Amino acid sequence: MTEVLLAVSGVAALTGGVLVFTLDSMARVTFALLGSLVCVGGVVALLGLPYLGVVIVLMMVMEMLIMAVFMVAYMMNPAGLMPMSMLHNKRGAAAVSGGVFLALVAGIALAPWPDRAGAPPRDSTVQVGAELMRGQMLTMVTLGFVLLATMVSATVLATRRGRYDRFGDDLDRPAHDPVSGGVGR
Amino acid sequence: MDLTARLLRAAAARPRLLVLTTPGGTPVRLAVEREARLRDWPVAATPADAGLLVLAGPGHPGTAPAVERLWRDMPGPRARLHARHPDEVAAALDAARARLASPDLQRADAAARPAAPPPDELPMAEQGPDRDGLWLDRLHVPLGPFLPDWPAGLVLRLVLQGDVVQQAALAGPAPVPGPAAGAGGRFWAEPWLRAAAGEPVTIGEAARRRAAAQLDSLARLLALAGRPGQATRARRLRDALLAHAPEPAVRPAVAALHRAVCRWGTLRRLTRGLGVLSTAEAEAAGVSGPAARADGDVFDRCREWLECVARDVRRLDATGPLDPADPVGREGPRGRTTGPLPPSVALAGLLPRLLTGTELAGARLIVASLDPDPDELAAAGAELAHD
Amino acid sequence: MTDPMTGPVAGRAAQPVAEAGAWWAVPAAPALLLGLAVLTVAAGAVLDARDAGRAVTPRTALRPLLDVAHALVRQPRRLPASDRLLWRLGVVTVPVSAVLAVLVVPFGGHAVADPSVGLVWFNAMEVLTWAGLWLAGWGPNAALSLVGGYRFLAQGLAYELPLMFALISAATGAGSLRTGAIVAAQQDLWFAVWMPVAFAVHLLGVLAFSFTGPFAYPTGRDLAGGVLGEVGGADRLLLRAGRRLWLAAGAAMAVPLFLGGGAGPGLPAWAWSLVKTLLVLAVLVAAERRLPVLRADRWVEFAWVVLLPLSVVQALVPALVVL
Repeated sequence: MTEVLLAVSGVAALTGGVLVFTLDSMARVTFALLGSLVCVGGVVALLGLPYLGVVIVLMMVMEMLIMAVFMVAYMMNPAGLMPMSMLHNKRGAAAVSGGVFLALVAGIALAPWPDRAGAPPRDSTVQVGAELMRGQMLTMVTLGFVLLATMVSATVLATRRGRYDRFGDDLDRPAHDPVSGGVGR
Repeated sequence: MDLTARLLRAAAARPRLLVLTTPGGTPVRLAVEREARLRDWPVAATPADAGLLVLAGPGHPGTAPAVERLWRDMPGPRARLHARHPDEVAAALDAARARLASPDLQRADAAARPAAPPPDELPMAEQGPDRDGLWLDRLHVPLGPFLPDWPAGLVLRLVLQGDVVQQAALAGPAPVPGPAAGAGGRFWAEPWLRAAAGEPVTIGEAARRRAAAQLDSLARLLALAGRPGQATRARRLRDALLAHAPEPAVRPAVAALHRAVCRWGTLRRLTRGLGVLSTAEAEAAGVSGPAARADGDVFDRCREWLECVARDVRRLDATGPLDPADPVGREGPRGRTTGPLPPSVALAGLLPRLLTGTELAGARLIVASLDPDPDELAAAGAELAHD
Repeated sequence: MTDPMTGPVAGRAAQPVAEAGAWWAVPAAPALLLGLAVLTVAAGAVLDARDAGRAVTPRTALRPLLDVAHALVRQPRRLPASDRLLWRLGVVTVPVSAVLAVLVVPFGGHAVADPSVGLVWFNAMEVLTWAGLWLAGWGPNAALSLVGGYRFLAQGLAYELPLMFALISAATGAGSLRTGAIVAAQQDLWFAVWMPVAFAVHLLGVLAFSFTGPFAYPTGRDLAGGVLGEVGGADRLLLRAGRRLWLAAGAAMAVPLFLGGGAGPGLPAWAWSLVKTLLVLAVLVAAERRLPVLRADRWVEFAWVVLLPLSVVQALVPALVVL
């Protein structure tokens, strides 16, 4: 049963991936990619990591929806009302992706996989958590701060109005915003 | 009886109405809304959801194309009716419901339906700078002539970026030809116009009409602000006033509505800073009445209506003649009726400026808080066209 | 550091709290969910009738069900250049995800499934409504409908993080993501008592992902129905059903997360679960009618500046207590 589900999810994920490059509407492309990523989440869950699998689904839905907003806002032809192609530099891209695919398959075939030592855990979630929060604590904390700093600085760079524009030279006047916010400024 | 007929009958037991009001059709609309409320027939927001198209008011060539477009958009089973007079509303609704429940008529309607016209060539969106200095798509979206809780017939042509209004231009309503432009076609201002023409009108009658008009406006604003229960209560009060309810019957309900609207200050906090209009600006634009007196934002105008209604409800039994020196006689529900143009014209004229830069939700609230009377706009259009 | 799976929680859960996988639970859970959803519709109809000054009779409560007949006889609608595939997909996603979400909600002593990541599963299914509503707004190729779809995303960006922290608070308190274990951890004290902020944020979140009441912004009257504006017939029924199903699912989930599940004196566990779920639903139905619509420009700032820090601090409380 698990094998069947695994195969179905895998093939569906690949199909979604192909559709990303064959559909001509930005909305459909986004959701083909989302479908593909949801199937990847299913594969991960079926492989015995339910937490990571479900979190992949959760995060990818949110992320792809935000992505959809930007795809529709910045790409031409969001609704696919006119024919267009998502393919560029076809020959080079085919060569690179084919090469990567072959290398990965070769890796699967050639890697010396270890034999299983011990029984699979009852709840892999605890192990994932322990691994991230004990062994890789420093990495995760650093990563978290880097991501946060990136987001804040990207927002600061993208915003034209700074706090002096909003609050005046001495930062003492009420905020001057085109639309005021919800906490009474 | 086959299944389709049964389902049709069940669906027609609670038909969903799409109410389209033509200029001069305010009394008919009020009758339709009252019937719908008492019968529990929901008022739909769009043709997708509606089964019964109700055209309320005298025929009007200006809005006819929009009505036909909405009728074409309405999937079956469907029926339409045209009520020209408040008295014929109840019977017309019953007859239309019978048509809606009839399998034969509905099959005939489905068969006679013209094929959908081929879609027009769809233009790509143009682009322009937005308020944050980004270069974004611009969409041209007309608001009106028919929208739920919208002054029927008013058309605003908006240029939107996302849901931010970049530009707004007034483009309607079309003027009314003929007698509908007279006092009879301006239901809410009627007592003042009649008094000006020398007919005897009592203060009580005018106060009653003004309170009802402002409750009608208030109901629209509350519905848009997401308080359908309070909107229903305001409409009930309006209907009670128009049905000559005595003062003691309505006064506690008006006070209760006032308290409910202002409770916890949530509505105030949610509408603060929207559509700010000072008294000086309003008077410079020719606006008189509650919108000028409120001297503030959407919520201030809402509160001004509530206070006006509370004052007027105390005068329901005043029998003196309406004269311009009296506080009731001086102005109608939207302002002074003595100027060269009806007060709603100045209100509508403010919209393009107040709407620019707001978000769509805020823009709708601003329009509702000024609530120009479409009957007055159409009458003014007729006067202007006549000159 | 206590290992969450072998710590005090597992010891307390000596008697099984949620029995998963009974065959009859599979049809029973959606049926119960639908029953609760219909109940909220009926309650809404009675309150509407009272507001409108109509006589309240038993028929009043059931009249909204006539809309089902209306939806079934309705002819399909064809709009120029609509994306019917995505539109339909979005419309179906909303109710289906609600049903999938309750699979992990224990009711009395039973749940359809009690996976080790039940809480995350519920959260993931709830996030699927983002996709559902955006697609439902995008599909018909109509400006106001599209604005409605985007409005839900704006709203989602504001409610989702506080909601996640509220869920995490409950999970931290129990030291497990398993809903059964979360119920077991509340045998002495309900989480609602010592995590009131998380409980309140969860209830707000329920209203938000059911896009109703103060969060009916994506289907606003100012947008002529927004996401609901262009859908008719069965599609409309599915979306509206999805809205009520999610309200019921969120209320049902609040009980095991914050109100001790089926625990209580005297009555059997299922009865306590039912009573508590109905009470939460009553609170939600009352709240959805009292609060005005929160426009995103006001709500997002409030959510990020007030709600999010509060819910982070709230999540810190069980973290300090448990560890």
